[in-house]
Amino acid sequence: MAQAVIFPKLGQTMEEGAIVKWLVNEGDSVKKGDILFEIETDKANLEVETFFEGFLLKIYIREGITVPVDTVVGYIGEKGEKAPAEPPKIETPVAPPAPEPAKAAASKAAAPQQQPLAQPPVAAPVAAAAVTKTPAPVKLIISPRARAVAKEACIDPFPIKGSGPNGRIVEKDVRAYMQSSGFDTLRITPAAKRLATLNSINILSVRGSGDAGRIMTEDIERAIKRKPVTMSRMRQVIASRLVESKQTIPHFYVTVKADITDLVKYRTMLKEQEIGYSINDFILEAVVLSLEEFPVVNSTTNGVTVSWRGDVDLGMAVSVENGLLVPVIRAAQTLTMDELKAQTKALAIKSREGKLTPDEMVGSSFTVSNMGMLGVDQFSAIINPGEAGILGVASGRQVPAVVNGEIKIRTIMAMTFSADHRIVDGATAAEFINAIKEKLEDVELWKSLI
Amino acid sequence: MYDYDVIVIGAGPGGYPAAIRSAQLGKKTAIIEKEAYGGTCLNWGCIPTKTLIASAERYHNAKHSDEFGISTSRVSFDYSAMINRKAEIVTKLTNGIQMLLKSNGVEMINGTARFEGTNRLSVLQLDGTTSWISAASVIIAAGSDSAMPGFLPKNKLVMDSRAFLDLKDLPKNLLVLGGGVIGCEFACMAAALGSKVTIVEMLDDVLMVLDRDVRRILQKKMDDLGIKIMTGAPLIDIKVAKGKVTGQYKDKKLSGDALLVSIGRTPNTASLDLDRAGVKTEKNGTIPVNKQGRTNIASIFAIGDLVCGSIQLAHAATQQGVVAAEAIAGIKSSVESMCPSCIFTMPEVGLAGISEAQAKEEGREIKTALFPFAALGKAMAAGSTEGFVKWIADAETGQLLGAQAVGNHATELISEAAVAIRNELTIDEIGNTIHCHPTLSEAWMEAAHVYHGHCIHMPKR
Repeated sequence: MAQAVIFPKLGQTMEEGAIVKWLVNEGDSVKKGDILFEIETDKANLEVETFFEGFLLKIYIREGITVPVDTVVGYIGEKGEKAPAEPPKIETPVAPPAPEPAKAAASKAAAPQQQPLAQPPVAAPVAAAAVTKTPAPVKLIISPRARAVAKEACIDPFPIKGSGPNGRIVEKDVRAYMQSSGFDTLRITPAAKRLATLNSINILSVRGSGDAGRIMTEDIERAIKRKPVTMSRMRQVIASRLVESKQTIPHFYVTVKADITDLVKYRTMLKEQEIGYSINDFILEAVVLSLEEFPVVNSTTNGVTVSWRGDVDLGMAVSVENGLLVPVIRAAQTLTMDELKAQTKALAIKSREGKLTPDEMVGSSFTVSNMGMLGVDQFSAIINPGEAGILGVASGRQVPAVVNGEIKIRTIMAMTFSADHRIVDGATAAEFINAIKEKLEDVELWKSLI
Repeated sequence: MYDYDVIVIGAGPGGYPAAIRSAQLGKKTAIIEKEAYGGTCLNWGCIPTKTLIASAERYHNAKHSDEFGISTSRVSFDYSAMINRKAEIVTKLTNGIQMLLKSNGVEMINGTARFEGTNRLSVLQLDGTTSWISAASVIIAAGSDSAMPGFLPKNKLVMDSRAFLDLKDLPKNLLVLGGGVIGCEFACMAAALGSKVTIVEMLDDVLMVLDRDVRRILQKKMDDLGIKIMTGAPLIDIKVAKGKVTGQYKDKKLSGDALLVSIGRTPNTASLDLDRAGVKTEKNGTIPVNKQGRTNIASIFAIGDLVCGSIQLAHAATQQGVVAAEAIAGIKSSVESMCPSCIFTMPEVGLAGISEAQAKEEGREIKTALFPFAALGKAMAAGSTEGFVKWIADAETGQLLGAQAVGNHATELISEAAVAIRNELTIDEIGNTIHCHPTLSEAWMEAAHVYHGHCIHMPKR
């Protein structure tokens, strides 16, 4: 009997997602463990394997369509077997019980084994494009003939004033507009005109770079690149979270400069003994220790209540192609330096390879963003909503500094603490960031920890 | 105050137009030339080779005119007379250039220029005296010389193209090292005059810039001329002994009366003391410039063969020279990105825009259309049925991106394609343009009809 392929729920908070790419075509044979498709969630792209063997009979959900989790996306069965023409449409609002979070994180995106026809809660697919809230288009009243003339001329009829009934744009309005707008004196190469028509470019908006301002294909290509492009879901999520943060959290910023000369020396010494730590490992540990000293910085508020988060679930910002991910080191206060280092490394690799599970990217209580490798003097990060602050770490630079009344060359690293002023005051922020600084400058501390 | 507004170093096909344009724009201009007005192009390149090729073609055609109803019992040639004719033409043209420079008020300084500073130059004159001059702007147009690497024996039988053009007699057996444009042009000319020619090319084929279909036509004709083409391995162990040049190609020993070395050209920048002016060069000696020919020093421009990434063609240098002169005068023009090229082999080749191979490399979706001369009345009448023209167009818009022509007069035919490509016409405009009948140019229009699938003069497929 044909088995339904279900859009998996891969994390506690995951409610919907889209198939980015089917790797199997309808009619292809599949073995257990074959990768059926790649999905895109708010956080990452993941591969989904099949538990069934047979032939992919039917694909219901094509690429790029956002659907709720547990949607039936296709059927696998025996050769010649018929899958229903339509996916089952039983409107049950109740979602099936989610798998254990730990298990979901561990099992690599496998389709849950369940009787498909018994409990398939399917909602209508939502087109991915609908995610962007574009204003409803104003209806243009235009005669078909006028529209054709505008299209042929590669101009946007929208700004044309209609002289017909109800302001309807008729051919003579388009012709008059072409005269008044400078269209008639416009020069354009035949290839550029063709390219503009194929891509619906309004040539009145294009500046010509050719002889005497003639519009060339290069100019049209630039205009095509100006067209809005729907951002990836990851980018959209980043956008909405950052706007939410800046609009609802009163940020303020405190910067200190840590002298990491001794720490760098100590790290080099460790390296010679083949004990490898990065400066980032020390920073993260210093932050964890300081958060334990300042519980209010490891808290969350809704503006009415404030609650301590308990564990230090440390988020670390990792830049990935065209975006940013924040994997979380859970209960970092319980980890040794070695464990912290190992987890940091593992999460960074998973981030860059796109292998993080959604659960590994939610629930941080404080975040560190380290741009040390990017050659910056200082920056102010935006708080991850739900957290009381974020630490922005800049590059260590060799600069002249005053040590015991003398000018020496020292390695100085600026750190900026962005704090939520609703629960963290200036004095606390200053104490907190200085606590981090003192730890970074205290090599004896590290000797006791490593 | 400087002595001049603009000084141009080198009076080749880049330098002298730059100087004249500069003078036209009201700049007090001087040009420094160490050898001969007209540079390589006029004295040892384009023009002299074309006069010899014209002689070779006449001879070849005279010998093969039976099918035109002309019987020639005994056709012979006098190579030294051909050389004299070449010398006369070159003299006429160099005099013409000096006249043009003079009439435009450009001061001509004979000598070798070196930079003494950003705006200062020293000129070592022929009489051994040195003078110093200064200018607000300098255009470097010193050109290039044939590359003659150290592994080659220093002997008069091992020569570059320039030395070859001064030979009084044509070598009976000619070895050509390097199957590029210069090597193939000389090979065809010598072979048409009866020399036994062997080309050795290290790459997989000669004239790799051309698409395979063009190369196939050319190779067949070169084969007919008796030219042996050996590819895919270098010529090693080159020696001169007893009036013969010998070398080893794979397991074959090759021998000839002379070896023509045509393996590229090196920029003449080393002797200019560019570091004194602060002008940056690449490792290979070429000078990086912007779209107007400006170097890293704002008042110094470079044009022609010695520019980084240059196509090393006379007509490219000319346009760059004009642009540089205009830039100095504050006119915003820029170097054309599309430069057609021509190869004077037998038959000729003309190229414009991108090739099929380039389009593939760039991942562009293209559609091509080809029309053979064999299907044209004029070509048959003139006995020029070898070859074809080919359009390379954007598959979506039909924009003409490239064109190649191979056959008689291909170097003339390519200009129509250059105008079309440069001005971004589509294949439709070419198809809709009436072309004179009977002419070879009709091939462009017919190829456009082939593109659209409604060619009248090709059998239905």
